Amino acid sequence: MTSTLNGITLKGSAELVANFFSFGINSILYQRGIYPPETFSRITHYDMNLQLTTDPKLKNYLTKVVSQLKEWLFECTVQKFVLVITCLETNEVLERWQFDIDCDKSAKESSAPREKSIKIIQDEIRSVMRQITATVTFLPLLETPCAFDLLVYTDKDLLVPDKWEASGPQIIDQSEEVRLRSFATSIHKVNSMVAYKRTDSV
Amino acid sequence: MAEGGDVDWELSKENIQPLRRGRAISALHQALSQQQEGDSSAINQQRQAFESELRMYDGDDPLNVWDRYIRWTEQTFPQGGKESNLATILERAVTRFTEENTYFDDPRYVELWIKFAGNCPEPLDIYRYIQAQGIGLKQASLYIAWSEQYENNGNYRKADLVYQEGFKKGAEPHDKLQQFHKALQARVSRQVMMNVEEDDSDEEHKQPERVSLAELKSRGKKKAIAPINRVGSAIRSVHSGMQSHAAPALGNASNSKLVVFDENKSHAGPSEPKLEAWKAPPTSKAKENKQKPGVWCDVKIPLKTKFGHTLMAPPPPKPAFQPFVEESDQPPTMTPCKINPAVNTVLSARKPCREETPLKRLQDHHQQHNEAVSGKPQEQSMYCKELLLSGATEFCFEELRAERYFKKMRQEVGGQKDEASASASN
Repeated sequence: MTSTLNGITLKGSAELVANFFSFGINSILYQRGIYPPETFSRITHYDMNLQLTTDPKLKNYLTKVVSQLKEWLFECTVQKFVLVITCLETNEVLERWQFDIDCDKSAKESSAPREKSIKIIQDEIRSVMRQITATVTFLPLLETPCAFDLLVYTDKDLLVPDKWEASGPQIIDQSEEVRLRSFATSIHKVNSMVAYKRTDSV
Repeated sequence: MAEGGDVDWELSKENIQPLRRGRAISALHQALSQQQEGDSSAINQQRQAFESELRMYDGDDPLNVWDRYIRWTEQTFPQGGKESNLATILERAVTRFTEENTYFDDPRYVELWIKFAGNCPEPLDIYRYIQAQGIGLKQASLYIAWSEQYENNGNYRKADLVYQEGFKKGAEPHDKLQQFHKALQARVSRQVMMNVEEDDSDEEHKQPERVSLAELKSRGKKKAIAPINRVGSAIRSVHSGMQSHAAPALGNASNSKLVVFDENKSHAGPSEPKLEAWKAPPTSKAKENKQKPGVWCDVKIPLKTKFGHTLMAPPPPKPAFQPFVEESDQPPTMTPCKINPAVNTVLSARKPCREETPLKRLQDHHQQHNEAVSGKPQEQSMYCKELLLSGATEFCFEELRAERYFKKMRQEVGGQKDEASASASN
């Protein structure tokens, strides 16, 4: 980690947030059973046990996405990061994990580091991760084999890199939305939310 | 930190039973907040409404009320448990319609049975029972739930057979059944693969084990000492052991040599067993763990008095208090017991509740019904018994009467309004 204990620089902040997404995506993919649990291995990060995929293809894909995301975070051009879980057969969107990113655009690479201890930030990230794990208490069981997709909302005038394509928002109709905790590095603020298909109850 | 909206659900996440269909977050918040405040009046009201609806319903789809009631209960009592009454309601609901053939292939009814089976100690019995009754034979969901139960028990073969049965019966939706069947096959084959892989890796990373009758390399220059660590490099490899008897080290004499006969190498010439010479005659008493002579510098020698004999430790002084002595020396033959132990049932063993399983009750109910049909009614109640007892709670006559009265009142008020509006339009 490039950020020091005393303050947060833009670069460090981007790195922190990108790291969070990397672990967060892995965690969701594991918790929701998108990939078989045997393909994950346990590691300790943020002082908690997390699951990281060992599937080489998935690993490669995630590394690519996260490094691209880090660049955008550094440029403060990313607004939202969305993980969409779709049914493999019908392509219906079943779950939508949305992370809204507020960037403080006044932060420049050269500007002085902000005051926020890394310990507090990690505490906040930890509570978000815990909440992601806890969501199984109300999320519906994903009964069918599912695929996932990652969407990034950026500022409009951005060049889309190779192998990225524009897509729709993939909103679930008739969804139930639950706001999760948020964390902030004082440069980037990440609000998380999960939406899922509403149960056909009372 | 609490800006992530309500965190109620996270604080009590251990007390929320996950549902297959998920939970409505608003219902969850409501249930949790009501629980915290101890305010159950709203819940009771709603339950009462459902209960009276069960009794007053005169439409052609009584299952609908039950279905709604059960789903409401699931959402309202996140931790399940006794106060939710879910088990009772489910049981009443499934027994209520065991004779109504029209519901047998209703997905809602099958769903209720599956939920009911999940609440029973022996779900497989329930599935077999309803199969025998002919309920849900054309519902894919039944076969899926049944197979999952077998899979959870580790019986993959039966799990597969259940799907075959489903295909044979032409259960609908066929796609769904096929999809779940494929998923099962994928899981099973993956597991088999994993096991094979694990076996392989087991052999590779096998912990070094002590080998019986292995020859050890000796340590030490003057005396041959067997190493403490008797695995891995400490063991002389078997092949080298075969030839090493040609030039045995003298120091190694204390290790008995054991040559294992190898029939493949027998042509190399018979190897004579060589007798080891005893270094010293065996002691008469082969006692181990004898105290060894050691340094005495730490040992205190008892002081000698000037008279020449050792000073004895002074006898312990008499205690300053009088030790309590039981008056009657003999302990009572039995500990005093006020309660007659024959009557005391406080710590009785748990009753074997095998007789009272839900399935048994169901079968009883079925049997009773058959007897009633066959024309020997044993008892007949001359009041509307099924109305009083049909729901999860019991109603009294007054409640029923009040319910009818209110219904009538509502109709009259509605009628008057209609008339009023009619006259206004005139």
